[in-house]
Amino acid sequence: MKVSIFSTCLVDLMTPAAGKAMVEVLERLGCELDYPASQVCCGQPTYNSGYLEDSKLAMKNMMLAFEHSDYVVGPSGSCIAMFHEYPKIFKGDPDWELKAVALKEKSYEFTQFIVRVLGITDVGARLDGTATYHRSCHMTRLLGEKETPYQLLEQVRGLQLEPLKNSDNCCGFGGTFSVKMPEISGQMVDEKCDSVMETGADILISADMGCLLNIGGRLSRKGLPVKIMHIAEVLNHTSEPAAAKGGLSS
Amino acid sequence: MTAISKHNNRESFLNRVASSLGRERAYNVKRPDIKGMIPDSYGTLTSDDLINILKEQCFFIHTQLIESTPELLQKTLDDLIAANGGGPVMTSGDPRFNRYELSIPDSSVWTEASGREGNIRRAEAANTAIIFADYVLAESGTVVIESRPDQGRSLHFLPEHYIAVIEKERIVLRSTQAAADLNRRIEAGEPVGSSINFISGPSNSADIEMQLVVGVHGPLRATYVLI
Amino acid sequence: MSLKTDNREFGERTADGIGNAFMRSAVSSAQDSLKTRRLTAATALGDWEAWRVVGQTIRQHTLQNLDFYLNQLADNIEAKGGQIYFAATKEEASSYIRDVVVSKQARKIVKSKSMVTEEIEMNKVLLEAGCDLIETDLGEYILQIDDWDPPSHIVAPALHKDRNQIKRVFTEKLGYTGDESPEKLARHAREVLRQKFLEADVGITGCNFAVANMGAINLVTNEGNGDLTAAIPKTQIAVMGMERIVPTMEEMEVLDNLLCRSAVGQKLTSYITVMGPKAAGESDGPEEFHLVVVDNGRSEILGSEFNEALQCIRCGACLNVCPIYRHIGGHAYGSIYPGPIGAVITPLLGGYDDYKELPFASSLCGACTDVCPVKIPLHEQLIMHRQNIVKEKRTGAAERFQMKAAGRLLSSPSMFGKVLRLANPGSRMMSKHGRIVRGPGLIQGWVGVRDLNQPVKQADSFRTWMKERQGGTQQ
Repeated sequence: MKVSIFSTCLVDLMTPAAGKAMVEVLERLGCELDYPASQVCCGQPTYNSGYLEDSKLAMKNMMLAFEHSDYVVGPSGSCIAMFHEYPKIFKGDPDWELKAVALKEKSYEFTQFIVRVLGITDVGARLDGTATYHRSCHMTRLLGEKETPYQLLEQVRGLQLEPLKNSDNCCGFGGTFSVKMPEISGQMVDEKCDSVMETGADILISADMGCLLNIGGRLSRKGLPVKIMHIAEVLNHTSEPAAAKGGLSS
Repeated sequence: MTAISKHNNRESFLNRVASSLGRERAYNVKRPDIKGMIPDSYGTLTSDDLINILKEQCFFIHTQLIESTPELLQKTLDDLIAANGGGPVMTSGDPRFNRYELSIPDSSVWTEASGREGNIRRAEAANTAIIFADYVLAESGTVVIESRPDQGRSLHFLPEHYIAVIEKERIVLRSTQAAADLNRRIEAGEPVGSSINFISGPSNSADIEMQLVVGVHGPLRATYVLI
Repeated sequence: MSLKTDNREFGERTADGIGNAFMRSAVSSAQDSLKTRRLTAATALGDWEAWRVVGQTIRQHTLQNLDFYLNQLADNIEAKGGQIYFAATKEEASSYIRDVVVSKQARKIVKSKSMVTEEIEMNKVLLEAGCDLIETDLGEYILQIDDWDPPSHIVAPALHKDRNQIKRVFTEKLGYTGDESPEKLARHAREVLRQKFLEADVGITGCNFAVANMGAINLVTNEGNGDLTAAIPKTQIAVMGMERIVPTMEEMEVLDNLLCRSAVGQKLTSYITVMGPKAAGESDGPEEFHLVVVDNGRSEILGSEFNEALQCIRCGACLNVCPIYRHIGGHAYGSIYPGPIGAVITPLLGGYDDYKELPFASSLCGACTDVCPVKIPLHEQLIMHRQNIVKEKRTGAAERFQMKAAGRLLSSPSMFGKVLRLANPGSRMMSKHGRIVRGPGLIQGWVGVRDLNQPVKQADSFRTWMKERQGGTQQ
């Protein structure tokens, strides 16, 4: 199966390990990958800030970058959800509406692709430890994907998954919201950190790097010893001890 | 009031609304068929099923449901009134009080002849109100009644205790059925009361710390008697 | 009370909210318990999503034909001997109400909860006219005797107060001598207010929905105060926002179910009443009945890109799931309409001059959109507000410049390549031990709260790695 990797600008710039893990997992599952080099960003940072016209440039660039792809897979429920908004944004635009629909229809978040397209829930991963999973708002609500990360994590050998209290409450990231209203966002991420600590987990997993940078950054600021891992890193983990591989911060 | 009525600017108001909608005024509108859209989550229910649904719901709305019979109704009501600390009682003038040959001691009846002040004064003084339900909604534990010359609005709200007698055959599943029947009557031009009340248990409030308090402005306690 | 409840800046109001530990714990525990209750009541309906679609269909149909249904309503109310008044502005609405009250030589007024009467500043007008006006909803009554403290929630107006604060107010203002138990406080209010009901000349109510084919209004309450307000005084004035109307009881029934379940997790609240002018032969109920239909800016929303905001049935469910409301509380919104729906409609009714921050007070998590029983795309409407605010150049010049630059950068692979090359060396000045510790503007917003690693070196970027890997496999 031919798959185009959408790395997301955040992974590109800040956390390449998540992207690398995604690539390795997909290859192991038999996908033939390519990486359209003209891709940059889905446009969400500016779009959600209200800068529609400035965002359209980024969106058009993405539609062109992936024009010839069969499938587009990215390590972020939020960025893929943004692709899914394109048809609404370009509705009635004769040059772009069809391209927007086409991109939406072939785009999948990483775990969603594995479960719903490849039909796999056990990727052969092993990770010894206790973890909790943070579901991102955009993945669950905008993309509507609530199940696939859990289905995949359940099959990871050695991993004990603890439920996270108020798991449907936002962590306070919200893109530019986190920096424009840091007072409010700070309260939100504090509550999320408390919930994470209550689980007693050593590892916090998510399928969205924005949330992980937010919660992880706050945990780190508070000196709390929880390791954050993108779900791709967890699924890419096989038999080596946890310390040897993966993990974005500690 | 004529001075005020002169200012009535219905037409200009409605014209502005139509213009916001980008069209001329609408004079012929057909409402969407929502009946076909409402999902049926229960399937076919027997009369016993309905009673069971009603019983279960009464628990959640802090309402006691007593199973009685037409023969035992008098005794059931006597016992309830005594348990509430006795009279005075005020009842509606519903003909069913006669049909079931009920006689309530220390009671008055809401009548047209008593007038506004007389009826309200008695209702306010009453310890218990007793009425017959017109429709009963099993799912929400609701009795539906209409205002009539022999059954005022405040009768349901002023006394501390509220007793509704429910005849089994009046139980329907939910508000959907009652609203459909009431609307059928309205569309057919049949008279309906100026106030149609859907009452589900006693009055309550959660305005202080979201803690439920049963009994605020209306009755402190509600009891349904099923016959 | 008017739409605006606080003249201070948004930042100041927010800081106040965040600093109010009691309010925050009250709000979060209310949210947590209502979440379960709402879900149970919604699930009990069966296919909740299908019900939401019915609710949305009804609201959209009614809005699309609003002039027709309002006209039908007016005909039917007049046929029953009631009077209907169409008020284009809040001033028209409140003066009409004052004129009715004055013409009745009425002094004593009981009122049941109504948000739109706050919006039109009716209380102020009536109090200035010398009326003795009493809010009878327990929450509103608490706020009134506490010198008209503003409401902080659409459904539970006194949510921000605890029982001890309420007891203190009761003791000071009512001579209450009991303890702080909610039962006793409520019982005391019952006694005081019962007398007010019996003495009142005029009752003023809101209107959850007007029922067009009946010429009646629908009130949804739990306390019984709405019904007493409509039953005992000889004159009733009901006030409604012009969009709060349904064709018949069949649509009303659907919306009431959605409303009760979403608002308080009840299947139906204790009292749902459809009422109009007293009929011949009946003893109580209003001999004189007035319905005031308020536009006050709504016709500008109607048919606009924000049209769907008018679908709102004021259940407050979006407040109850909002993580922002959870931490800042209702007062921080500075409006009688707080929370996500407040952040959408307050700027529409009150303008961006006063309320341009509200649409940005959201992480766009979509919880509001998900929970809305009539499917208002709330978070999308917040984005639309943001777009308008940007279009009107109300965001700072620095931000506009940054966003323009970001727009170009994020659409250009070559510029982004440069960023990848320069980000790591460029951030060295701001960093310590691989972590960014300070920075300009938005970066400071981040690192003030959270740690942030430096961006990776270009050689370590995903892009470089992927290119090498692909090159490798091709050879």
